[in-house]
Amino acid sequence: MLDVQKIKKMHKLAVYESGEGKKHLAISNYYRSDYIGLALIKNFFLTTIAYGLLLLGWAGYKSDYLMNNLHRMNLPLLVVAVLGGYIILLVVYSVLTYIYCTVKYAKAQKGIQEYYKGLGQMKKIYDREDRRNGRITGRRN
Amino acid sequence: MTTLLEMKQKIKNFYGEHDSWLLPLLKFLLAFLVFQSINSTLGFLEALDNIFIVLILSIICAVLPLNGMAVLGCIMIVAHCYGVGVEVAAFSVLLLLLLMILFLRFTSQDNLALILTPAAFSFHMPAAIPVGSGLLRGPSCAVPACCGVILYYFMEVVSDRSTVLQGKETESVQKLQILLDALINNQEMWLNILAFVVVLMVVYLISRTSADYSWRIGDAAGSVLYILIMILGGMFLNVNINIGSVILSGVLAAVAGLLIEFAALGIDYSRSETTQFEDDEYVYYVKAVPKSFVAQSEKKIKNISSEPAEVPEEEDEEAAPVERIGEESFDFEKQLEESLKDL
Repeated sequence: MLDVQKIKKMHKLAVYESGEGKKHLAISNYYRSDYIGLALIKNFFLTTIAYGLLLLGWAGYKSDYLMNNLHRMNLPLLVVAVLGGYIILLVVYSVLTYIYCTVKYAKAQKGIQEYYKGLGQMKKIYDREDRRNGRITGRRN
Repeated sequence: MTTLLEMKQKIKNFYGEHDSWLLPLLKFLLAFLVFQSINSTLGFLEALDNIFIVLILSIICAVLPLNGMAVLGCIMIVAHCYGVGVEVAAFSVLLLLLLMILFLRFTSQDNLALILTPAAFSFHMPAAIPVGSGLLRGPSCAVPACCGVILYYFMEVVSDRSTVLQGKETESVQKLQILLDALINNQEMWLNILAFVVVLMVVYLISRTSADYSWRIGDAAGSVLYILIMILGGMFLNVNINIGSVILSGVLAAVAGLLIEFAALGIDYSRSETTQFEDDEYVYYVKAVPKSFVAQSEKKIKNISSEPAEVPEEEDEEAAPVERIGEESFDFEKQLEESLKDL
């Protein structure tokens, strides 16, 4: 006979596994520090690319001005300003990435804990069924 | 209202039974609308501005996740920009890359708003995006929605200045300057971004309160706020705003919000109950609002005829043997008297 409770629980677990759980399980493979560290490294490269693109756009936009006034400009100051902008952008995005990843990891952990709780309940149901059917395989609960 | 609730229940049942093909169909329709709106705004690459290509792309989107639609929409925009010029296409790639790296990578769940916003602008109902996002999603949706506003105004700039941008006498650097100037100095765009952020936050905050009819209040407040910000902002910033279009957008957003509330929430505030209790550590203030639900009466067709119904010859083996007596020959009164005698 069909066990409605068991089917409901299995369905819930299957929906989680195929939806949010897929991402959560992938995240939970990492330690928290590893996950955030990896995201920060990725963020470093992405922010560098974005800053490069921004600089490219700005240089293109101001190309006429730069061509005419480059010899009169204070180049060390320009380099310091460019580097300063880069460091500010990098710090801001690193903080954002850290917060984002921390929240994401915490959510994933919570979801995974619920999932394991569900799996534990499923195991109990199966063990109970096994006992009922007299087919206990020597394992103690 | 009961009829509407019954209809909603029927639609839900229908969706539950046929979701395997209904979901791709809805995705297909959405993708079709989005791609058609991109084609109507840009439409410079003739190969793409073709109903068959749009249909094929929409069919592809029907089986892809929703973010796939956003990616295909962006590719379509870049392709149309290529129809104007290589420099414009390069600028569009640059813009999209920057938007993705700087903003959209944090909001991967809500990126559909990026592509829905330009479509909403083409249907003269941009306010529906912040109202809908505030009701259904959350503050994070403001990021892709604002990126969508930038994308729409970029498309407008390309469309408006296509003759200059396509001209061979215009240098590449000049084209870049035209695009950047038109985008950065576009007060209407910044006003829309401000309105989107404020409206989304207000709708989200009001709709999450425990007040009665909070979704409706949030919806109405958001629509009115959008109209006010656009009109007042237009007056102070000297931006030429079409007041009629803004009011129409606000009204359509309110209607869209009501539809969303009916479809996604559907609760009956007239039967709400409040209770208060406490334990050793806390005092609980509980408010329970029941969902509007109409129990559908199952229609059974019963044939009533004077002739006795045909009895199947094969009897169920497990069924208890019951003596079947024709309804006409059965004397109910006599049977009742006999049973009373036994008593």
